[in-house]
Amino acid sequence: MKTAALSLIAATLAAVFPVAATAQTPEPAQGKRPNIVVILGDDLGYADLGAFGSEIKTPNIDALAREGMRFTNFYTHATSSPTRATLLTGIDTHRNGLGNMDEWTAPNQRGADGYEGYLKLGIPTLPQLLKDAGYHTYMVGKWHLGKSPELIPRARGFERDFSLLDGAGSYWDMTNFTAAAPQSVFTEDGRYLNKLPDDYYATKTYTDKMISFIDANRADGKPFFAYVAHQAPHDPFHLPKEWRNRHVGEYDKGWDAVRQARLKRQIELGILPAGTELSERMWFVPDPVVLAPASRAILGKKMELYAGMVENLDHHVGRLVDHLKKIGEYDNTIFVVFGDNGAEGTDLFKMIAGSPGSRDFLFGAINWSQTHPNAWGDPGSYVGYGPMWAQVSMTPFSQYKSWTAEGGIRNALIVSGPPVKRMKGSINHGVLHVADIMPTMLEVAGASYPKADQDKKTPALMGKSWVPLLAGKTESPRTEQDYLAWEIFGNRAVRQGEWKIRWQYKPFGSESWELYNLASDPAERKNLAAANPDKLKAMTSLWESYARENNVILPSRSVFETLEDQLPKRVSDDKGYPPLIYKQQFVPPKDMVAEPAP
Amino acid sequence: MTSSKKNRRFAQLPLAAAALFAMSGVGPAQAEVPARFYWKTLTGGSAVPLIVESISGNANPFDPSRLVSNDANFDATLAIAGYAETFSLLDRSAMAAILLPMGRISGEARAVNGASVSQSASGFGDPMLELNVNLIGPKPQNNIPDAMRYQPGFSLDLLADIAVPIGEYDNKQTLNLGQNRWYGRIGAPMTMQLGAWVPGRRTTLELLPAAWIFGDNTDFVGRKLKTDPLFQLDAHLTRDFAENIWGSLDASWYKGGKATIDGVEGSKRNDVTLGLTLGYKINDNLNLTAGYRSTVNDSAPDKMRMDSFMITFVFGWHPLIEGSRRLKQE
Repeated sequence: MKTAALSLIAATLAAVFPVAATAQTPEPAQGKRPNIVVILGDDLGYADLGAFGSEIKTPNIDALAREGMRFTNFYTHATSSPTRATLLTGIDTHRNGLGNMDEWTAPNQRGADGYEGYLKLGIPTLPQLLKDAGYHTYMVGKWHLGKSPELIPRARGFERDFSLLDGAGSYWDMTNFTAAAPQSVFTEDGRYLNKLPDDYYATKTYTDKMISFIDANRADGKPFFAYVAHQAPHDPFHLPKEWRNRHVGEYDKGWDAVRQARLKRQIELGILPAGTELSERMWFVPDPVVLAPASRAILGKKMELYAGMVENLDHHVGRLVDHLKKIGEYDNTIFVVFGDNGAEGTDLFKMIAGSPGSRDFLFGAINWSQTHPNAWGDPGSYVGYGPMWAQVSMTPFSQYKSWTAEGGIRNALIVSGPPVKRMKGSINHGVLHVADIMPTMLEVAGASYPKADQDKKTPALMGKSWVPLLAGKTESPRTEQDYLAWEIFGNRAVRQGEWKIRWQYKPFGSESWELYNLASDPAERKNLAAANPDKLKAMTSLWESYARENNVILPSRSVFETLEDQLPKRVSDDKGYPPLIYKQQFVPPKDMVAEPAP
Repeated sequence: MTSSKKNRRFAQLPLAAAALFAMSGVGPAQAEVPARFYWKTLTGGSAVPLIVESISGNANPFDPSRLVSNDANFDATLAIAGYAETFSLLDRSAMAAILLPMGRISGEARAVNGASVSQSASGFGDPMLELNVNLIGPKPQNNIPDAMRYQPGFSLDLLADIAVPIGEYDNKQTLNLGQNRWYGRIGAPMTMQLGAWVPGRRTTLELLPAAWIFGDNTDFVGRKLKTDPLFQLDAHLTRDFAENIWGSLDASWYKGGKATIDGVEGSKRNDVTLGLTLGYKINDNLNLTAGYRSTVNDSAPDKMRMDSFMITFVFGWHPLIEGSRRLKQE
């Protein structure tokens, strides 16, 4: 109670006298406020951590899960920069500048408020508010929220940073993907880098830098906010040689078998209820059983690399955790670990450089043509793992990144540290959203959010604090009436309680609203729209409210507008069909076998 | 008796001159394979190697022993055609081959009576059977996934050769293609991968230490020729220049192989050869190499002096690859 009262007073003071609060926020009487470490995996799938049923070995992140809590109904956005923008502002992506990704702003969205393609200026950010509240604020890794000087991490509240401003790039050097923008852009402490440190490897260097930032300011005793926005395991799957061969041949059995094994473990762990089905295998993904061993091996090797990426990421998370233990900060640190969106099933490289004769094809030929499997992981190689393995990463959910199916937006979340008062290792099924992190951390830090102003430059926070949930006072930050909504590239969705509607471009969707009950059908196999018109109507009404309140401008052009013309006609994934290719050799009874008559 | 004295004595004997044809300058002709010859491929594959050499020097390239004539000068055109199969033996990579030398040789030599004579020979030499089994290194590539994951790392093989003395032989002259005796070799080809195993970037150091063992030729122009074991060490430093082209620095060292003719001893061999090879993968079936090598420090009359141009074609095939190609109608 005393803590809550102090927090309330502090919050009130900060709201009324924000500048004064900045300079004078005292350490709480009961001791130092907790450090905050947000660890973000890029395209990390729901089912890729051991604590969420993966065979990939992630002992360090799993240890955080054992010390803290796991959340099974945590939502991000379907793509990277919108999630990051919401994480750092706590407001809807259509209001914070990432109404669409910068790379895909539609003609009718250009110039519209909320569609700037970068984190809008003037909106309070989590690091800024924490810094104002007396925290050191550090960032390493991927930014993806703007490149000009007023938009970079230093300008948005981070005291120290080592940041990749682009959405992706080489892990080994500054090579990027297009001829028009051939170099990745990095900043360190607000300065644009003209080269990278010696011995640079993204995941390692980011960790080294974060450790150095933390150590540099330890003497003053202030808590810190560390935003560790790893590039891993986003493609290209670049990783050191010693991490490439930890799963040789393990994935030759194919994606279906791995998905089934993961689902089994998820059920055993209590992540998902017994009886949960797997989502459909995407209709254009073959049944691995009918593939030649060579095909399974070459495709399996991609997953081997991905598993190595995740394990390497876990290793470096472990280095940071170990360091915090070593310097005595671990016990006073909140860790928040999650992925920024669904796993990536789209071939990004093909999208960029797939047309022979194009400028970007030529660029790829020079810079990204190390296609031999033994070169995978090296500089100049570009390996992604395709829709089949993305579905594995998102077990048991449907589809993947960029789509508003559960496979695009639901993610694994781990929270540990002082605010967690529940039994260690517990699992919660409440509905959470990335926008909740802002109010949660502000509350934990005793900081406050400025009042919404008249011109809406400071919109109200959309998220809800998890503090009561972490303390065991509630099972979800949301009521059954609260709802969440999404829109990206024209794909959209609403979740309220156990119900969800989604609208997606064909052929992933039907270009009409579909209705699913996620409690009984988390894999979104059964569209209940026709059977529940009233529910559908009520949910679409929520969508309309959401779209209106958040200035959602459906795009006139979309990355997926021609997808239906590119993919085979959608059919259901009926197991064992057609029998023609599954029938085994007939073996007659031995006593009926005879030589031909002379 | 010192080596030089033995050598002089040997040179003074009329019969000793007959030994002048005894050996290739670059190495036993049947052993002359380019770098990367012992790289492993998919088991169940077949290959037809064709090795063509143009050789000049003071010894007979068809004879794997090592005797030198001080003033001989031969030119030879040599071809070795063969057939090889790759397979798995006790779960190790293995290759069996038969190599058949053929060609012609001519030149000025000293006959048994000491006179300088022109001799020539042509036809088929002694066919050689070869078995190479990997002892240390990756498991055999029994399927395409194995091949995909193959990297030699450090590979060490056991190589065994035996030549069958059925090649053309004329006991009236010293210059022959067949050697009229059994001989063979035990070796240990080694491949050391240096760096990434990625076409275009592969680098290897390859060594072949081996020992040649010779039976007696009991009708060497009516005499008996005995040859001591001969030690061979081949070394190749190879490097890809691009995905389909590579080069190699080659060196060979041969030591021993002292010949004795009717009890009269010759000198031991101790010669070094240096060379260069370029390799080019023409397509998935056909590989080409072209190289040149020459003895070094060979100006003394009793030293091995030999140089050769060598071109090799190796045409390989595998039912799986060929069938896939047919299905794809390539």
